[in-house]
Amino acid sequence: MAEMVKLFVNGREVEVESGKNLIDAFKVIGVEIPHFCYHPALGADGNCRMCLVGIEDGRPPLVPACKTLVSPGLKVQLDTEKIKKIQRDMMEFELINHPIDCPVCDQAGECTLQDYYMSYDLQDSRMTVPVVAKGKRMDLGCGVVHDQERCVLCARCVRFTRLITKTGELGIVNRSDEARVEVFPGRPLNNRYAVNVVDLCPVGAMTSRDFRFTQRAWFLTKDKGICHGCAKGCNIYIDHNREKYKDDVIYRFRPRLNDQVNGYFMCDEGRLTYHAENEGRLQVCRLEGKDCLQDYAIQSAKALLGPKALMLVSPNCSMEQMIAIKALSEACGAKLSGYSDGYIKTGDGDDWLIQDDKSANRAGLALLGIDCTKETFTGLLNGSDVLVSFNNDLFVHETGNEFLQRLEKIKIVAIATHDGTLIQKASIAIPVASYSESSGSVVNKDGLLQHFVRAVQKNVLPLDMIALCGTLGGPVATESDAVNEMKKVIPSLTDMIPEGGVKLTASEAAHVPA
Amino acid sequence: MEVKILSAKFDIKDAHTLEVAKQHGAYSRLEKLFSMEPVAVIEEVKSSGLRGRGGAGFPAGLKWSFLPKGLNKPVYLTVNSDESEPATFKDRFILVRDPHLLIEGIIICCYAIGCHDSYIYIRGEYTTQVKALQAAIDEAYAAGYLGENVGGYGFKLDVTVHRGAGAYICGEETALLESIEGKKGQPRSKPPFPAVEGLYGCPTIINNVQTIASLPYILENGADAYKQYGTEKSPGTHLFGISGHVQKPGMYELPLGLPILDVIEKVAGGVLNGKKLKAIIPGGSSTPVLTPEEAKTVTLDYESMAAHKTMFGSGGIVVLDETVDIVKLVENLAQFYHHESCGQCTPCREGLGWILKIVKKILKGEGSMEDINLLVELCDNIEMKTVCVLSAACTMPVRSYLNKFRHEFEAYVKKGASAQADVKQG
Repeated sequence: MAEMVKLFVNGREVEVESGKNLIDAFKVIGVEIPHFCYHPALGADGNCRMCLVGIEDGRPPLVPACKTLVSPGLKVQLDTEKIKKIQRDMMEFELINHPIDCPVCDQAGECTLQDYYMSYDLQDSRMTVPVVAKGKRMDLGCGVVHDQERCVLCARCVRFTRLITKTGELGIVNRSDEARVEVFPGRPLNNRYAVNVVDLCPVGAMTSRDFRFTQRAWFLTKDKGICHGCAKGCNIYIDHNREKYKDDVIYRFRPRLNDQVNGYFMCDEGRLTYHAENEGRLQVCRLEGKDCLQDYAIQSAKALLGPKALMLVSPNCSMEQMIAIKALSEACGAKLSGYSDGYIKTGDGDDWLIQDDKSANRAGLALLGIDCTKETFTGLLNGSDVLVSFNNDLFVHETGNEFLQRLEKIKIVAIATHDGTLIQKASIAIPVASYSESSGSVVNKDGLLQHFVRAVQKNVLPLDMIALCGTLGGPVATESDAVNEMKKVIPSLTDMIPEGGVKLTASEAAHVPA
Repeated sequence: MEVKILSAKFDIKDAHTLEVAKQHGAYSRLEKLFSMEPVAVIEEVKSSGLRGRGGAGFPAGLKWSFLPKGLNKPVYLTVNSDESEPATFKDRFILVRDPHLLIEGIIICCYAIGCHDSYIYIRGEYTTQVKALQAAIDEAYAAGYLGENVGGYGFKLDVTVHRGAGAYICGEETALLESIEGKKGQPRSKPPFPAVEGLYGCPTIINNVQTIASLPYILENGADAYKQYGTEKSPGTHLFGISGHVQKPGMYELPLGLPILDVIEKVAGGVLNGKKLKAIIPGGSSTPVLTPEEAKTVTLDYESMAAHKTMFGSGGIVVLDETVDIVKLVENLAQFYHHESCGQCTPCREGLGWILKIVKKILKGEGSMEDINLLVELCDNIEMKTVCVLSAACTMPVRSYLNKFRHEFEAYVKKGASAQADVKQG
């Protein structure tokens, strides 16, 4: 527990954490200090002047809250007429040259200017002179579109490229009310985290080419999720909307704060993985290339299970799914492999968020003692008649002739979220729910066990993989069964997985059941 | 009325050269300097009452004593030679006519505060001045007055000239530091103050050229000799740049404390062509204006100016005669400060442009009485809400013109209204 400090806000004594600035400290106790430029990840800049607060008997009596640390006995004033007027005045200055084009602005509904206008301003415009015209719809690169007229020059985006990615593509050129965010000529945004500036931008100055004009912010349901783009397990918001008579569609992923994993940010590639949740999905069961009824496909698949079957688990399956699959394989005497080398793109990762391993739960395979080596897999494959793939797209990593010839000789059952080469080769294909449509837990590369819940509600509910394992004859048929099993593997897990995840101990992470 | 302390060598031919300067006493105080303890030098300057000549008038010795003690970091002296305040022309004379006086002052200050690396930040437009200054520094290095062993006294001191690129804001001390560090010239928010965390994060003293150039006299003659001039709280002399509608505009060295009207009359020869005095800008464009009535009791020192709700500023006195159109003057003023706003913080960035546009609107005859009230309110809304005082440098004088010459703004509004009425009737 951090040390606590007693001080006063609006005459009321409060206790807050020491070492924090007024904005962060008061946020915890539900007192909002309006601000544009301050961001916990970027530090205090003090340029927007929106967070000016009064200090009773203070020298100076007026300070920016972002640059003022809490100290014992400090008497902070937020509700005085003087401070309220300053907030109105700052809003007026921010708005005089703002286009106020909310009806066509992508940020509307999640815009700090809009919110603060309602909370702190509500004045009519006194602007009777021409506004400053600046650049519109500027392509800054990396799918970031900039509108200079909407910009409040808070420099969060500039500071992000300087302090976080250290690429420094953005800067503020010119002085006075001609100041604007720009890139150097011929040197656009060029880093793998660029779209974070869209999230950081408090107004509609930075928009995402991928998302803009697709949905109004207020129509989106914002559910918590875990990015499955790589082994980092960045915490995300899955923003989706189920329009009347239509199917639930994901419109964007946004980073969700988790200091243990991704902080406030995520990579651009991971951000775009939502497309795969919407597109290219396997929709109906197939038998020998033809659509068929689900029950028929499942019964046909069940008939193929036995000692001559090899089950191949995807490193993207959740812990619960892996447990169910493992139990199924043991029940029917089938062999099990987690071979998935193709999910690893060696050299692609960096020293921050992006990992070489493009799967979300490889650590889970190790935790359950599922062998992942190519040698074992090839050996097992040679002794098998049937390959049952649990969403492991072998063709991502295997294109060799010898391998293809081997696959020609056996029957393939593909239990998959997506259509693809494996589905084309499969005798039986059964669509299942993807991670946004189901709940589960994954272990990231640092041994952090994180839980996610179902976000997307499809019109036609895709089959749940765990339930499918049960139908196929497995003893673990529900999520709660799987969780009970998981608690045996992870002894310290006695309760629900808390938000933010559970760090597995070294011995747990290395645990390989006999 | 004139005295010759800072300007003693200004009229001597080739006094900017080391040879001539030495004949007239340059570097002659080093022997005394290095025989003293640094603390004693600071005490001498403190007791002389020398105040910063950049405009704020902060006591120089006191500023030096704010340096944190016992830090394992270098201390820097930065000489502010940005001299960008409109109507100010004093430091440029020192730079061109007696640069060795400044260098000697730098040696004195650096010895006192324990600095071995000094920077002179000079505005980019000062091409003649930078050449003269650099030539003098080169000469001083060659003669051993700068470098590894200053004057043979075992003190190391390097002086580097850094040229600005023409931004007014770089005269603000923290923007100046940013500029030296190679960044965009934008003020830092304070605290921390430069004396604690300045150039490259190290303790830094920033003084104006004229402040530093006053040190050799104080060291040679002692604090009491310096205090003979001026008033009790504003001792010493100051280089005044008198411009505008006067018979003899120019730079004059005067003791502080003289009545402003006397100076205009007796030193500058009175209002040009015998016209009537309308107003006086007392210390550069950012100081609130004085009416002739107010000027009657104003003397040229920090206290009298403050008592009259204006500022001593940089000693740039502008005399305005009856022909001056105050609204156009305010337009000019707002244009300058709007153009020079660094654009970092919201009130200054957006507000000064708005003020300018409203003044232009009034000038075009399209303004209303509400616009005049709005101008006054905007001055209040901007002032003291910003990172630095640039916005106040605009709003303080603008407010003074609005208050003292409101009738001129109203005249434009009424003229515009009647012209519009004519159009409607016609």
